[in-house]
Formats: sequence, structure tokens, C-alpha cells
Amino acid sequence: MTIKYLDKFPRSNARTLWVLKPMWVTLKNMFKTTLHRPVTIMYPYEKEWVPDNYRGRPGLIFEKCLGCGICKRMCPTTCISMIEVDGDDGKKVDRPQVNLGRCMMCGYCAEYCPVNAMIVTPDYELAAYTREELIYGPRKLAWPKHTEMMQVHLKEHLLSDLKNGVTDKPTAFYSIDRPELNDAKCIGCSRCVKVCPTGVIEMYTKGENAAGKPIKRPKFDLAKCVCCQNCVDECPKDALVIKEVL
Amino acid sequence: MAEMWLTMGPQHPFSHGLWTLKVLADGEIVKDAVPVIGYLHRGWEKECENRPYPLIIPMADRLCYSASMTWSHVYCKVVEEALEIELTDRTKYLRVVADEICRIQSHLMWLAAMGTDLGNLTVFLWALREREFFLDLNVKLCGQRLTTNYPRIGGVRNDMPYYFERDCLRVVKRFEKAIWNIIAMMDESAIVVSRLKGVGVISRKDAANYGLTGPTMRGCGVDFDVRRDDPYCNYDQLDWEVAVCKEGDAYGRYRVRIEEMLQSCEIIKQAMEKLDKLPKTDPTRVKVPKNVPAGTHFARLEDPRGESLMYLISDGSDRPYRLKVRSPIFVNVSASKHLVDGVRIADIPAIMGTIDMCLGETDR
Repeated sequence: MTIKYLDKFPRSNARTLWVLKPMWVTLKNMFKTTLHRPVTIMYPYEKEWVPDNYRGRPGLIFEKCLGCGICKRMCPTTCISMIEVDGDDGKKVDRPQVNLGRCMMCGYCAEYCPVNAMIVTPDYELAAYTREELIYGPRKLAWPKHTEMMQVHLKEHLLSDLKNGVTDKPTAFYSIDRPELNDAKCIGCSRCVKVCPTGVIEMYTKGENAAGKPIKRPKFDLAKCVCCQNCVDECPKDALVIKEVL
Repeated sequence: MAEMWLTMGPQHPFSHGLWTLKVLADGEIVKDAVPVIGYLHRGWEKECENRPYPLIIPMADRLCYSASMTWSHVYCKVVEEALEIELTDRTKYLRVVADEICRIQSHLMWLAAMGTDLGNLTVFLWALREREFFLDLNVKLCGQRLTTNYPRIGGVRNDMPYYFERDCLRVVKRFEKAIWNIIAMMDESAIVVSRLKGVGVISRKDAANYGLTGPTMRGCGVDFDVRRDDPYCNYDQLDWEVAVCKEGDAYGRYRVRIEEMLQSCEIIKQAMEKLDKLPKTDPTRVKVPKNVPAGTHFARLEDPRGESLMYLISDGSDRPYRLKVRSPIFVNVSASKHLVDGVRIADIPAIMGTIDMCLGETDR
């Protein structure tokens, strides 16, 4: 490899004083830009092309969303909050609401969404007259023309897989990390059942205690779990922990 | 002649960002100078202590708007060192490509600002026009122009799209031609060269004493580059040269930066070749644990402005106990008294322009 520029400059003072070269370059550029018109675009009427994976405001595919709250947990500016809205079948469901006045367009909500319901949209014109208009509810977040490119897929590889030479098994934390119960700490309050968005937790009766009351313990259907950690946060006795697979 | 303290900044057009240079002027001659920083202090380091590790990456982007890729890279690097994770080859080369794109667009932003400092508005427009192509590459790679949020702890956000290699090589090829037009405007113009030559001289010894890094240091003959001398991300497997200039004046720093842009183009082309040879299915991201084991670690790399370093103290939880940022400009600006000593007031923009100020990372 050679030094490309430093060998050529500076030239002798006589060459440096040769002022016609910049003039000639400018003139050449003038002809070029006149021939290859237009260089600029008429902005509000024409718009710059952006690729589909452009990270504008977050969007939501309402029917795919589980209401698990991973987007809320991963948001660096805490601009996402879960609110209760009417679902398509009339029932009340939890869905994310984004305060775009705070959103920093990092795309974490789309990246970590286990079902790819949060997407990135190429919508960058977000000016509004009031701050209330900037709070986008779940219905307003929808982006009807969403494509495959707008979903951000999380493809993580396990270190143990790489050690064994397996490179074609991408996975993600929501596919393999699962909550684990510490039986001694559990008091059977069944709060975890109430907060689970996917309904994978069921209480079963383990036996009877000394007073003759039934001992209840949660049972997890691990295939459907998305590792949202809501049960871990809700547990009053810290009996649940997430077991990470590495 | 009476001496007088002049306050240049924080709204002065020469100060790129919010900082003040207090200048003791004796007529036209500068006798003393005091840089005043801190207008942009936003408690970055303290705020990091209150959030989990992955959520700091978008914040690290905002340390400096034109070096966002390298700042989030150095943050990911320090956490990877704490976790003792070895990256895959594909990840390393993707990071190299992303870093070098960032370096070129940052230097072009500097060149544009330098043009306006010297009253050369054509260079400002042309350099920003070339910069747009590199920002478009950023959009195609990771979805945003400036706040890229691309590196992740243990990898990168996504693999490059199928059209990225073609576009990247096209942009680099175009840029390698177009940069010579800008060089013609700067180097062959007697006005620009005579304003840069011989002002703001700093010697090798002084540069070492002040702790200067980056192009400011290489402009005065110190042959040191973290990419070559403490290689990370497979930089040692690529064939390129460190740009060094012996003069130590403003013109020397300008020449080092121009040469660095051309060398970055070379690095991008070679890294693309290496990426081509690797299988397409190679992993770009590994799964990392949430908690970082307790200990102290640091990582450094070559920022467009110098050597950026992060020092991490972890206590075994999912949040850092302390995250210290060593910003290259914070150190370089301390030499401003030495640089502007004895020059005329009109030379100050030309000298401080070649330092390439960025206040986001200085004040943090």
C-alpha cells in the first residue's frame, strides 16, 4: 500500500500559486451539474427515497401483538407504556403506546419483539402542533403498508453452539431463556398467572400442608413462553428467576 | 499597547459547538488563551449507571453525532472484554466497514467546517455533498443516517443487506475520484495554503506532554495509530498505511486527515473482499448474559478524532457501577493555549478548525 496523497502535496510554491486550477475545477463542476440536473429535490412535493429498513417512528401490527411488554422494558427512554384498549374481538387487551416526543428511534422495540409485531417504519415527518398529538396510541401506531424488511429479526447465536462449530442455528433470548421456580420460596399466591400475557402459567395443587390447605404451585408451558419477565418482576418473594441459556 | 481579554464563543462561528476560548490579545497578537468547556454537560456517565448494559448503546451514539459508530463500538468493546467474548470474523469485518464509513463521513464534516472557517464555501458544499453518499450507506446498513445504533454487545445489529456491498464499492470508487476536486480547491489555492502553513505549530515533545492523539498527534510526526499498534477487529490483517506528517502545523494536520480518508477507502475495499470470502451464513451476533462479572476493564480504539477509551467498573449486576469516558477532544483542547500562542487573532479559526472540535463527547 502506498501513501496516495501525502507524496503529491505540497508542491513547490510556484505550483501552489497557480490559481487557475481551482477555477478550472469549479468551472468543470458547473458544466457537470448543469448537465446532470437536478441535484436537489422539491422537498414537500417530492421525497427522498428511503429503504424499507429505515428506522423512523415505531409501528405496530395490532393483531400480532401479545402485549408482553418487552418493548416497554427495552425502551431506553421509557417512552413506551402499556395501555388497555379494545381488541378486535371486543375484549380488553394490553397494547403499547408510544410517546414520540421522547422516542429516540433506536429501533429496540422492533428488534426485541418476540413476534415481530413492533416494526420500524419509514415515517420521519412527525411534526405536530401539540405534545398530546405526539402520543401515539396502539391504533395510531399502525403502518398499513408494512413489508417483510420492516421487521427486525433478532438472530443471536449461542456461544456453546459456536464452540461446537454449529453456525446455522440462530436463536433469540425469547426462544430459549425461561423462568425457573424456586420451590422453597414460592407461597402460591398465583400473581404470576395474572400478569402472564401469553397465559402459559397454570396453578396446580401439589399436596396439602399441615393445616390441611392445598399447596399451590405454578406450572409453565415453556413452549409458548416469550421470556417477558413479567412474572419475575411481579413475584413478591423472588421465587422466580430467568434461567439464561448461553 | 493595552492588553485585552476577548471572549470567543460560545456562539462564535469558529467554535464548532458550545465552548469558549478566552483570548488575551495584545493588538492583533494572542498572548494567552483559556479554553472554557462545560456548556454541554449532561451527566452522561452518571446516567449510564442507572440503566442495563444494552440500553447504553443508543446513548453512546449521542456522544458525538459524527462519530456515533466508533463510540458505540468502543462501548460494546469494553463490555465484550468484561464478558471475555471472542467475536466472529464476519462481525469484525462488518465493524471495520462501519467504522471506516464513519471515519470518512466525520472527516468530510470536518473538511466542510474547515472550508467555512477559511471562507471557502465551495469546499463546504462539495464536502457535504460527498458526505451524503456515506450517510446513505449508513441508512442502508442500519437504518439511520447519524445515530446509527449498529454495534451490539457480542456482534452487530444485522448482517448487511444483499445490495450493500455493491453500493459501498460504488460510493468508495466515486469518492476516490471526487476527493481530488476538493483537494484542488484547498491545496492548489494559494489563499488556503498560506493561511494554514506555519500556524499552530506543536512539536513532538509537546504533543506527548499534552497527551494529544489522533490526526493532531500524527500531524506532528508521531507514528502511532491504535488500529495498527494495538490491533482490534482484524485491522492487522488488512494492508494499509498510517498517515504521518512531520510539520506539526495546521497544514500538516489537514494533510493527515485527507490521507486518512483515502486510506479508509482502501480499508473498506479490502474488508469487503474479506467479507466476500467468508460464508454468508456466518453468525453476526452472539447471545450474551445480562449480568457482567465484577471487575475493571478498559477498551480503546481509534476514533476519527483520536484515541477514545472507556473504562468500566462492573459489580456483577446488569448495570455498570461506573463508566468513564476518555474523550480525545477533551485532551486535545487542553493544548489550545500552546497552539494559539503568538499567532494573530484571524488565525485562531484556522488553527482550532484543524483540531476538529466535538463538544458532545468533551462535556459528556
